[in-house]
Amino acid sequence: MATKEEILEELKEAVIEYEEDDCVEAARKVLDNPDLLTPMDGVLDGLAAGMEKVGELFDSHEYFVPEVLMCADALYAGLDVLRPHITLTETGPRASVVLGSVQGDVHDIGKNLVKMMFDIAGWEVHDLGRDVPLEDFVEKQLATGSDVLAMSAMMTTTMLGMKKVIAMVKEKNPDCLIMLGGAPLTRDVANLFGADGYAESAGNAVSEGIKMIGNLRKFEKGEVE
Amino acid sequence: MTELTGKERVLKMFNKEAIDRMPCFSGQGAVTVQAIEKMGTQFAKIHNDAELMAGAALTSARMWNLDGLVVPFDMAAVAEAMGRGVSLYDGADGIIYPTVPNKWKDLDAIDIPADFMSKGRMPIIDDAFAILKKEAPDLAVGAWVLGPFTQAGQIMELDILLKGLKKKKDQIDAFLGRMTEITIDMCKHYEGLGVDFISVREMGSGTDLLSPRMWKTLIQPNLTRVFDAISIPSVNHICGSTDMIIEMMHECGADALSVDQKNNVVETRTKIGNDALILGNFDPYGTLTTLEDSSEVANVIKKCIDDGVDAVWPGCDIWPDVRKENMETFVATVREYGVKPSPAVKRI
Repeated sequence: MATKEEILEELKEAVIEYEEDDCVEAARKVLDNPDLLTPMDGVLDGLAAGMEKVGELFDSHEYFVPEVLMCADALYAGLDVLRPHITLTETGPRASVVLGSVQGDVHDIGKNLVKMMFDIAGWEVHDLGRDVPLEDFVEKQLATGSDVLAMSAMMTTTMLGMKKVIAMVKEKNPDCLIMLGGAPLTRDVANLFGADGYAESAGNAVSEGIKMIGNLRKFEKGEVE
Repeated sequence: MTELTGKERVLKMFNKEAIDRMPCFSGQGAVTVQAIEKMGTQFAKIHNDAELMAGAALTSARMWNLDGLVVPFDMAAVAEAMGRGVSLYDGADGIIYPTVPNKWKDLDAIDIPADFMSKGRMPIIDDAFAILKKEAPDLAVGAWVLGPFTQAGQIMELDILLKGLKKKKDQIDAFLGRMTEITIDMCKHYEGLGVDFISVREMGSGTDLLSPRMWKTLIQPNLTRVFDAISIPSVNHICGSTDMIIEMMHECGADALSVDQKNNVVETRTKIGNDALILGNFDPYGTLTTLEDSSEVANVIKKCIDDGVDAVWPGCDIWPDVRKENMETFVATVREYGVKPSPAVKRI
């Protein structure tokens, strides 16, 4: 019979080696062994830990975006098995995020990688998709009262719309944190637009998102306050 | 000695013949709002009408004293002609470039019409070239096409394409081979229309997305085929991270390489030598639109020249909403500071 460590290692390896079927199998082992570990253990110390390793491989240029996308598919395959079994008390109060790619932008790889980070963290995710009219961001944020609004623009030509959305949301809901991402963005531009956070590209979203996953794991374990 | 025309200056540069000064032009879009306003039209309208498309390019070139121009301004025309639709955003505020709303989601579903070059806005682009060749004989008229991989990402979902590179390599190889044939057909078509140079923009293939190893096996052979087929001056343009693939880009056989601000041109020169034409490499939005002190614009342009480019090109389309003073400084600096020879091109 497998130990807790072995099951977690199987989850990690399945994510790193982008093996969706293996990930599903390992996730089922988590559910079959409730005396050894919880579904949340599987998510944080298996799937998310695997994704952290993927982040290291990405940073060292061993993995590139195609590999990361496949790792994300494997992670989601495992998450789909585990998530229905995670109780709200296990994850604490649920935070929520509204996210999407802005109008004029049909790229969504970076947005989807950031979404993965929120999914792992158990947030309530309102994904508006791509080519999203600016007013839709504002409407959805105000309707849901989300804690975070995350917008992505892959191209210079679309990022200017973000500034308008930020102004509209901040005016009505100044407590909402706003994250921007996308290849053309710089920290200066994000600051200029009035955003609270920033990641510059799909690649950077991988690094930044995975760092946030790492911090989440530490937080859940009580290693940081 | 009579002054060279813009066209002569550009063509001599591509031939690495001595010229009077560095040419100022771009293989990326260089249309600006000032020109569009002067024409009394709107950005959303210049993509769908040959007169307005040619007029916007020509008015911009004349307004800023550029040596060349290109059309069209958006990347959606080919995908639209292949039946994927287009979003023109005519009702939206501000400047939004057309996009492709309905990409194929499955390799097996891809069905490219044989006559796509006569569909959608493709004939409008042809007509715009005819107008420009007639109205601007003194300027270098450039065409551009997307590279096979980037065009593939315009007609099918990019994440499926990227994952397919690993999971369905043979199928993707065949698909990219087909896209290469299409790219070559388009280049030959534009050559037939009499354009002066062609820029092949394989912009989605930098190492922000793909590994150098993937670039070598999946991108380089196809781009090499494309540049082998082009018989007029050609440019291999990739934006994003190119430092790790610049030698392979050079091996593809284009007459010039174009890179953006992420490339370390000083190192690139040491890698590929002084005989190669390098175009680049300033951040168009960060320089021409956002800088508030035009002396900083001059510094950006001077650095490009000092680093070793043979012509100062923006790393991407010039964002149309440029500051007038910045655009003037960009052109003036190229003209004045570009009087000295560049690594691959001597001066008269």
